[in-house]
Amino acid sequence: MIQQELKIINRLGIHARPAALIAQTAANFVCEIKLIKDNISVDAKSIMGVMMLAAECGSSVQVITKGADEKEAADALKNLFENKFNEEF
Amino acid sequence: MLVLKGVPASPGIAIGPAILLPGEQIIVPVQHINAAEASAELQKILRAIEKTSEELDQCEKKVQASLGTEYANLMSTHKLILQDPALKNSIIQKITKEHLSARSALCVTLQELAANFDKIEDPFFKERRNDIFDVGKRLSANLVGGKQEFLASIHTPSLLVAHDLFPSDTIALPENHVTGFCTDLGGKTSHTALLAQSLNIPAVVGLSTASKDVKNGDILIIDGENGLLVINPDRYTLSNYRKIQRELKKTESLLKTINHLPGITQDGHQINLYVNYDPRTDTKENKRLVTDGLGLLRTEFLFMNTPQPPSEDIQYSTYLAVAKRFDMRPVTIRLADLGADKMPDFPLDEIDEDDNPFMGCRGVRLLLKNPDLLHTQLRAIVRVACEVPAQVRIMIPMVSSVEEVRHVRAAFEQVLSEIEKDNKKPVNKIALGAMIEVPAAAIALDGMINDLDFVSIGTNDLIQYLVAVDRVNPDVAHMYDPCHPAVGRTIHDIIQTTHQRGKSVTICGEIASDTKMLPLLIGWHVDGLSVTPRMYLRVKNSIRNLNFDTCSDLAQAALLMGSSEEIRNLIEQNQHEDS
Repeated sequence: MIQQELKIINRLGIHARPAALIAQTAANFVCEIKLIKDNISVDAKSIMGVMMLAAECGSSVQVITKGADEKEAADALKNLFENKFNEEF
Repeated sequence: MLVLKGVPASPGIAIGPAILLPGEQIIVPVQHINAAEASAELQKILRAIEKTSEELDQCEKKVQASLGTEYANLMSTHKLILQDPALKNSIIQKITKEHLSARSALCVTLQELAANFDKIEDPFFKERRNDIFDVGKRLSANLVGGKQEFLASIHTPSLLVAHDLFPSDTIALPENHVTGFCTDLGGKTSHTALLAQSLNIPAVVGLSTASKDVKNGDILIIDGENGLLVINPDRYTLSNYRKIQRELKKTESLLKTINHLPGITQDGHQINLYVNYDPRTDTKENKRLVTDGLGLLRTEFLFMNTPQPPSEDIQYSTYLAVAKRFDMRPVTIRLADLGADKMPDFPLDEIDEDDNPFMGCRGVRLLLKNPDLLHTQLRAIVRVACEVPAQVRIMIPMVSSVEEVRHVRAAFEQVLSEIEKDNKKPVNKIALGAMIEVPAAAIALDGMINDLDFVSIGTNDLIQYLVAVDRVNPDVAHMYDPCHPAVGRTIHDIIQTTHQRGKSVTICGEIASDTKMLPLLIGWHVDGLSVTPRMYLRVKNSIRNLNFDTCSDLAQAALLMGSSEEIRNLIEQNQHEDS
């Protein structure tokens, strides 16, 4: 199991498009991926779950990956967050 | 008995059982099923998911082509919601474990998901629930079958109740035994309402809550004269309305007796009465009308629901068939007024997303940016004019400056010289005029009138722009007011300016068939009116009962008034004196 805390640095937070990117990325891995914020835990493969976190800019999300490809999944998500979901250039 | 007040969209009275357009309401009562039915319901929802997924794919492609990647991304979000395990698993569980019908399972799941989103405080994220409901609506519609299939399955005369109807739905109604309809949304001049008139079926729109208040099988009265919907009327009301219905039918048949008589006032002043013609809704009844010509042929329909613009030949054969119907009379063809609420599926040059489409790239603006569209349409029209004895007139929509008129005229002259090289010539000189619907064009008409052969006033949009009211927005729609002093003064000014140069003015738009407004329009010396076939004989009858001198006095008085209320009182007083 890998646990990491990722900060949301894109201006609009995890709105519809980043949520879509997270869910799409998560779906590429077989491991279980959970996002936790303010005591709410959601499945990263569910776009509605991710949107429900209402994660705004400046907040942080706990990302837990658990399973065969947990390392790759953790890296992929870290990448996504750090690149501001490819939103701002 | 419950009476709802809406907006009269198409006259007449219809009485009959209600039929609700399904799939509109995603909130349905919880319905349990037998364990044995579960697998069938499961199949249903899986098929609906598959169908919805295909729809979203197509939609995504369309959006990508017309609006670009940013909007296409929105569609892929919708696709992800559809495939979201949280949604799918919850529905499946509710069908197999809790034995709910597929529709109930979808409804309960959506409500649960929405409840989670309602807890979010941030309004931006809260809004995301709308995306979920959007997907839910599509799913629900596919679960109960397509709209068109549903309409085709109506076999007894019924009154259709819907939240909203697209013109494309409306057009198929009569052949589907729908004898009247009502909707929650829409105003008098919405395109659905205009279509209802040409289809000869009573309609009331803008009822707000009709689709919630009516249940399937309720007996309804749709009163298209007064804009009322009566749900489950008592005996007295029902018999009263049946009487009115009979009388209206009698009047309709009486009206036919003036079909061959001219549109003149009692004191002999002639008004040219043209018809707004739509070849798609040409009933036997409409064919019998004796008219002074075609006042407005809208051509947008040729450009809608097609992956590429209509070819010159397709346009040619459509216009030719129409022009032949009017032998030697005027045939006014309006160049495609695309844009705003009529955006074609095929990609256009230099058109980006539009936050305020009614002020955006539409009508002549769009045509000048897409010169191929303009050229093709002009060629088709000019070729028709070479074949028929009709007086072909070309009308430019949405003109705001003289430069636009000159650009179109230059394109028109070029087409004429091309056609001449083919050794063809229009039978009659083709007139090129403008639809005046932008206030700037109305006010500065003297600057462009020399470049125009005729003027037509498009009052629906002119009023909308004059009073700055979006007629589709229910919060302000009531301020859309033909009696506003600015409207009358503007119409009067347009007519004066045009007459000074010896040219003629026709009014097309809802106001032309508003019998209350007729005395004013005639009093301001309008030359012609163009109305829907449905209203044609009513308007002619009204004209034949008016006195031109009285109208002129009335209209002059109205110009001096400063409020809608005064003008309205004036009209009403006059009507009482007449009767």
